[in-house]
Amino acid sequence: MSEKGKELYEEVKDKIEELKNNDSAYAKFGEIWKLACPIKYKSYDLRFLYEDTSREFVDRHKDNIIKMREDFVENIEDYTKLCMKRLGKTNHFKVHFAKTNEEAQKIFMEELGDNKVIYKSKSLEAKDAGIIDILKENNIEIKETDLGDVLCQLFDYKYPSFTLAPGVQFTVEEIVAKIKEKHGIELKPQAEAIVNYYRTTYRPELLNNVKVSLTSANAISADDGSIILVENEGNISLLTRATEKHIVVAGIQKIVPTVFDALLVAKIQERIMNVDGAYISLISAPSNTSDIQGMRVFGMYGAKEVVIILVDEWRTKAAKENLLYKDLLKCISCKSCDLVCTASRAFGNIYGSKYGIGAVNIIRDYIHNGIEATVRDGLFLCTGCENCTNWCPAGVDLAEIMRNLKKEATEAGLAPPNLDKYKEKIFKDKNPFKAQ
Amino acid sequence: MTKLIYFGCLSRSRYKGTCENATKIIKFLDDEYQIIDDPPCCGSLAHQVAIKEDVENHVKLVNDWFKSNDITELITICAGCYNYLTRYYPQYLGSDFKVKVLHLLQFLDTPENLEKLNLKYTGKKLSVYYHDACHLRNAEVPIIEEARNILNSIEGPIQLKEMENNRMNSLCCGAGGGVYSIFKENSDFSSKIIFDQMRMSKGLITACPFCYTALKRIQEENKIKAPVIKFEDFIFKLMEGVDPVSV
Repeated sequence: MSEKGKELYEEVKDKIEELKNNDSAYAKFGEIWKLACPIKYKSYDLRFLYEDTSREFVDRHKDNIIKMREDFVENIEDYTKLCMKRLGKTNHFKVHFAKTNEEAQKIFMEELGDNKVIYKSKSLEAKDAGIIDILKENNIEIKETDLGDVLCQLFDYKYPSFTLAPGVQFTVEEIVAKIKEKHGIELKPQAEAIVNYYRTTYRPELLNNVKVSLTSANAISADDGSIILVENEGNISLLTRATEKHIVVAGIQKIVPTVFDALLVAKIQERIMNVDGAYISLISAPSNTSDIQGMRVFGMYGAKEVVIILVDEWRTKAAKENLLYKDLLKCISCKSCDLVCTASRAFGNIYGSKYGIGAVNIIRDYIHNGIEATVRDGLFLCTGCENCTNWCPAGVDLAEIMRNLKKEATEAGLAPPNLDKYKEKIFKDKNPFKAQ
Repeated sequence: MTKLIYFGCLSRSRYKGTCENATKIIKFLDDEYQIIDDPPCCGSLAHQVAIKEDVENHVKLVNDWFKSNDITELITICAGCYNYLTRYYPQYLGSDFKVKVLHLLQFLDTPENLEKLNLKYTGKKLSVYYHDACHLRNAEVPIIEEARNILNSIEGPIQLKEMENNRMNSLCCGAGGGVYSIFKENSDFSSKIIFDQMRMSKGLITACPFCYTALKRIQEENKIKAPVIKFEDFIFKLMEGVDPVSV
């Protein structure tokens, strides 16, 4: 074991120590996450929103989804080509294919032009492509619209956040105190009052002021070039309609063969997260009209221009060269692996990377920043319980990827000291528990 | 043609009494099974943290040990050994791995053996929970209903209760993958929520020595009344007519 391995182990240990301090950011997040995970885990079996359980719904469609994702990964280049053709030529989107994250960032800044403000939904894919970083570097004002993210922004992003419900750890008292401090408005410490505050002050801004908006996509269908977006707040509806230019940033793994597959992916995500996706937007062209003498004019009431930046970076390479994280291309971002993860449940935000919580985001860190980053993210907190693999509706063997990462970390001398000790005893003494 | 009782390193080193109990149960049902001194570790714990070549060499060494002792069948009481031997040994060794591997629960859960065991409980009304270990439910041939069949075969006022998270849906104790030796904090939380799902119960039965180690610590540290009992100990005490949840 190298000194680096010991250092990284101590680093993770220190974060776990912080978890014991109730006032720490990790503890604040962890407490909510600890509550949320078992509830979500159980709710798979509760008749929560519908007659059948989420699990029954997933099981009914699982084989089809797995087949669909395998087909996509197998034919990733063909589907990407077809999708680009449909999006661009047929549906009049402006389509860019970015081979690398750097290319995507450059294209994005060019599309942004002179605009100094951007309104965004969660847009995890943009974060993955490094676009959020580049916006910050260029002093572009980023305006969050998902209420959870708005709250995180209100607290200057000082606290870690959930992917699904960012900002859920803030109490109503903390929120109203912060609103008073920042905006001088006194509100009753009630959720309704806070929502109403943003509805009356922020909604008009979203309806009138947005020039450029940024979203990701839950899925993009190759056969008819449609983007599907699921939401419950209505912020995405506003961002995709009440804007001049709507920019979509998505990795090519968001492509699915057909529009029905896209809808299925959206519905699976909705079920697994147990949220009612109040709105599903299926966007197949920029806003347009042909009502004046049959002449097609773009930009009626909705977005005048829709730009789609499809990012490859590691994806085609992973599929073609059978890289150890190839399976991740099948992922439909439903988060089921996070909700049932033992390490995630126990360690909350400590088990994750800057891209988000959980194993998937640790693997993303590996792809972008290498093996050392994953050990820092808590790779060795994974117990190998395989819940992630068992529950995945798309057949991603996340547990196997994590095992391979642990192997790679060990080969690089980054395994925690005790594990190395056990290994040596197995090979030398043929019994790891033999008394010294 | 040797039938082997393969305890697994953790039980062999730390839980000698349990190994003795398991041996008595197995030999009661089939006297041909025997113990051989100093069997090598299956290597499960090294799998994730060793380079492929070292793992392959070790697996080969263990297989050679099986061959040199003419082992054709084995029963293990370790969930980890069972999972590793049945999943990875065929992957590494192909047809060169010829040992038939059984977990104790599979061995017990046959009509003949259950009949021969004829388990009876004559004490006061007793309810127990069984915890599904990840190693057993995730195995190539999952072991899930076997434990329930055995416990439900017991005659007398004994009731097997189910946690909200059971079978494939069970909660991990937080000790797997070597995590117990480096980040015990995982089991602080994960094992605790397993106990939190138990209602009015006199005991928690586990068939995994790793889960036992983690659960037992949490039970003691949190002064939880219901004891954690290893499956073999529970069965052996019933055979002896002793209170099966006594510690």
